[in-house]
Amino acid sequence: MVGESLRHHLWQHGIFLLILFLVLAPLSFLILGSFSTARLPGDFSLDKMGLVNYLKVYTDPGTYELFTNTVIYVAGSALVGISLAVSLAWLVERTNMPGKIFLYAGVPMTLAVPGMLQAMAWVLLLSPRIGFINQLLKDLFGPDAPVIDVYSLGGMIFLEGLRLVPTAFLMLVPLMRSMDPSLEEAAAVSGARPLSTLRKVTLRLLAPALVAVMIYQAMTALEVFEIPGILGLPAGIYVFSTKIYAIVRTATFMPVYGQANALAMVYLFIAVGTTFLYTRMIGRAERYTIITGKGYRPRQLDLGKWKIPALACALLFLFLSIMLPFLVFLYASFLPYLQAPSWNVFKIMTLKNYRLLAEYGEVASALKNTVLMVGATATATVVLSFIVSFIVIRSKFWGRKLLDQMAFMPHAIPGIVMGIAFFWLFLKLDFLPLYGTIWAISIGFTISFLAYGTRSMNAALLQIHKELEEAAYVSGAPPWRTMWRIFVPLLMPTLMGVWIWVVLHAVRIAGMPLMLYEGPKNQVLAILIWNMWDEGYVPAVAAIGTLLMLVLLALTVAVRLLGFRRQATQVVGG
Amino acid sequence: MIQIQNLHVRYQTERGEVYAVRGIDLDVKQGQFFTLLGPSGCGKTTTLRSVAGLERPFEGEIVVGDQPVLSCRRKIYVPPYKRDIGMVFQSYAIWPHMNVFENVAFPLRESKKRFSSDEIRTRVRKALAMVQLGGLEDRPAPFLSGGQQQRLALARALVKEPRVLLLDEPLSNLDAKLREETRFEMRELVKRLGITTLYVTHDQLEALTMSDVIAVMDSGRIVQQGTPLEIYGAPQDRFVANFIGLSNFLEGRVKRTGQPGDVETPSGTIKCVLPDGIAAGEAVVVVIRPEDVNLDAGAVGQNENVLEGKIEAIVYMGDALECQVAVGTKLIRLKLHPSSPVARGNTVRLRLPAGSCRAVRA
Repeated sequence: MVGESLRHHLWQHGIFLLILFLVLAPLSFLILGSFSTARLPGDFSLDKMGLVNYLKVYTDPGTYELFTNTVIYVAGSALVGISLAVSLAWLVERTNMPGKIFLYAGVPMTLAVPGMLQAMAWVLLLSPRIGFINQLLKDLFGPDAPVIDVYSLGGMIFLEGLRLVPTAFLMLVPLMRSMDPSLEEAAAVSGARPLSTLRKVTLRLLAPALVAVMIYQAMTALEVFEIPGILGLPAGIYVFSTKIYAIVRTATFMPVYGQANALAMVYLFIAVGTTFLYTRMIGRAERYTIITGKGYRPRQLDLGKWKIPALACALLFLFLSIMLPFLVFLYASFLPYLQAPSWNVFKIMTLKNYRLLAEYGEVASALKNTVLMVGATATATVVLSFIVSFIVIRSKFWGRKLLDQMAFMPHAIPGIVMGIAFFWLFLKLDFLPLYGTIWAISIGFTISFLAYGTRSMNAALLQIHKELEEAAYVSGAPPWRTMWRIFVPLLMPTLMGVWIWVVLHAVRIAGMPLMLYEGPKNQVLAILIWNMWDEGYVPAVAAIGTLLMLVLLALTVAVRLLGFRRQATQVVGG
Repeated sequence: MIQIQNLHVRYQTERGEVYAVRGIDLDVKQGQFFTLLGPSGCGKTTTLRSVAGLERPFEGEIVVGDQPVLSCRRKIYVPPYKRDIGMVFQSYAIWPHMNVFENVAFPLRESKKRFSSDEIRTRVRKALAMVQLGGLEDRPAPFLSGGQQQRLALARALVKEPRVLLLDEPLSNLDAKLREETRFEMRELVKRLGITTLYVTHDQLEALTMSDVIAVMDSGRIVQQGTPLEIYGAPQDRFVANFIGLSNFLEGRVKRTGQPGDVETPSGTIKCVLPDGIAAGEAVVVVIRPEDVNLDAGAVGQNENVLEGKIEAIVYMGDALECQVAVGTKLIRLKLHPSSPVARGNTVRLRLPAGSCRAVRA
């Protein structure tokens, strides 16, 4: 039956090879490039290979500073992020704080604000020279007043910390909610006071999960380019992602691609190591079976007179994360030129910036590029993830385990590294007319998001009882009809959810597109914003940013609503 | 209608390979209600799924109607969607995104033969009326009760009028009362339609009440096949006697062949029915059902065994009294009318009719 089964599984082999190629080809070029001694990727040949790049990277004292900076930045922001997320999750789930609905609705909304824009907003507030807050301090306390400098490791830690909260919050809320209350009640009847129960039982039980969440946050912080890019680059404070970008893109002398690759390899190893640690921790967290799956409501601590201060602190987080960046952008978008708020400013406010956007050709072309790129990326990710997950979960294809691991692997690869790898790939595969196009960016993103897409699809497919599929076969439906009439409608909420998630992320990430950026032809919105900011068109950036935030906010609301509908149908179906 | 020859199935699970079916032969006649009965893991569901085409056996031949759907020798494998079958799954597998009408219409819409929408409507209505679901066409499928879902699954399996109906424990998710009602309804329906039915269950009562023929399975093999009367009344094997109904087992050796023959057991010599072709001295187990054991009253008949023992325990079961009587070292269970005048500690004489005592090879 071998011949027959090969014919039967032809499409499965096709997908397998495609994923294998898309994941491994850029990585091989990354590795080969890191040994290349040629000055330019175009001159790459197998004769000119050596360890020079690695030697340079290892002997450069800058590398050690880079390493220290990265560690401080990653650990600091993960610490800030986890403390905020745990506090918020605990407040909404385990206390009687009023106004919880604001947090349930508001915290996930913070995901809608692109990191790049958030960082820019904080620059407008806290840059040493032009920052509104710093100017206010000078007005109040004279020219010798201390300035708060956001172009610093502290600024990066603070901001990235804020940005790590929503994901961690969403991971922690179900944990806190479904924790068996009898474990805590047992401590209470053993004579422990509420606070020592919290310390000795609740937090101890949550510890493995907390560590896992923290490692996840560290992975995210390590990967992020936009925050250190906006806040660190101008001050010459580098972390891995920005250093690689700087070597390739902003060096005044000839860029040294080989060294960027060698550095990217180190970066990649750290990232893969962290991911490995994370999957190990997840396994360990599952051993603490504090979640029994029963739907009970844990007991809530009475905050007493601390109710209102607790709510105020929680709302302050929302204000700093969403409201403030948005207000700053809204304000700046009406300015003819940048200045601190005052009564006089309101007289000279103008819509000029918005009008300019409509007239400025590059905006229109970037918008068109973005819509095409994002639409293609989201659709490709959804279709590819669906097919891959289908093979992994529902077929008996021999390579399904490997396929699953391949699809998850890009999760460990930082966007900048992915960017540089694809840069080499498209440059060398010049028979494919991809280099310098939006499709290059689209392919890079699709691979990056495949991990998220397949995780969601795997989970959703596992929920669908196998007999629902088999019933379609015995009713006379061939496999592709079964997919169309049974799986697609049943998975619709997940398909839509993944699609919007990809749109939300593809639109705002600047790191990878910047590595593949060639000119107006493949300039997308994120790059346009980055470039305009670089060139100092702040009010125009503010106008684009304001509009972008509004669109993303609407999309995020859509995702939440879809999520609620999915829960509702599960209850009905279950 | 269904012929299976020398079927062998292996499949992979997370815990390794399972050799689920190890050489099964069976022949289901046109219109027959044929049941595969056995404990979980005996291979009955795997056999059924092989007939549906949902498993890929590595050896064997299956013919459904006159269509060879599987022949490992001739390298034939017909996928499930090209087989002339209808199937009801244990979970019912009602598609939650479709309403009642669309669930039943699905097999017609996917059929090779094109049906007009009028024809589809007529056929779906007819199928739903058959299972008493008429008028619920527009109900979303998740809003049905368990019993209604089960009947909907049956309607979906029958709507195409397949030659063979496959039922995979279709009653196991219903509550006890409903299960009893549905047993009879279901048999009535398939008998009325004259459709050949292959039924899988682990419930002996279902098998005994519904089937024309039962095949008892254990560890991937058929251990006994016959009518319900033969399976219950004349188990040929200790496993069958143990699995179906309650039985007393008395180990012993054949002392004298003949009908009835004698078997020497620690509790005494028992006159009983011997299996064919057995020789004196062979090890056997004498099987006797609790309801066939009587308390002594009056004269002992010629073909009866009498054992003496002491009542060790009495369990009141509502419709019966179950007594455990110690005969030597052996406990013998018997079922009595609830009003029987017995008490714990009484010494009693048990009468075991020779025709109800059956020796099987140990």
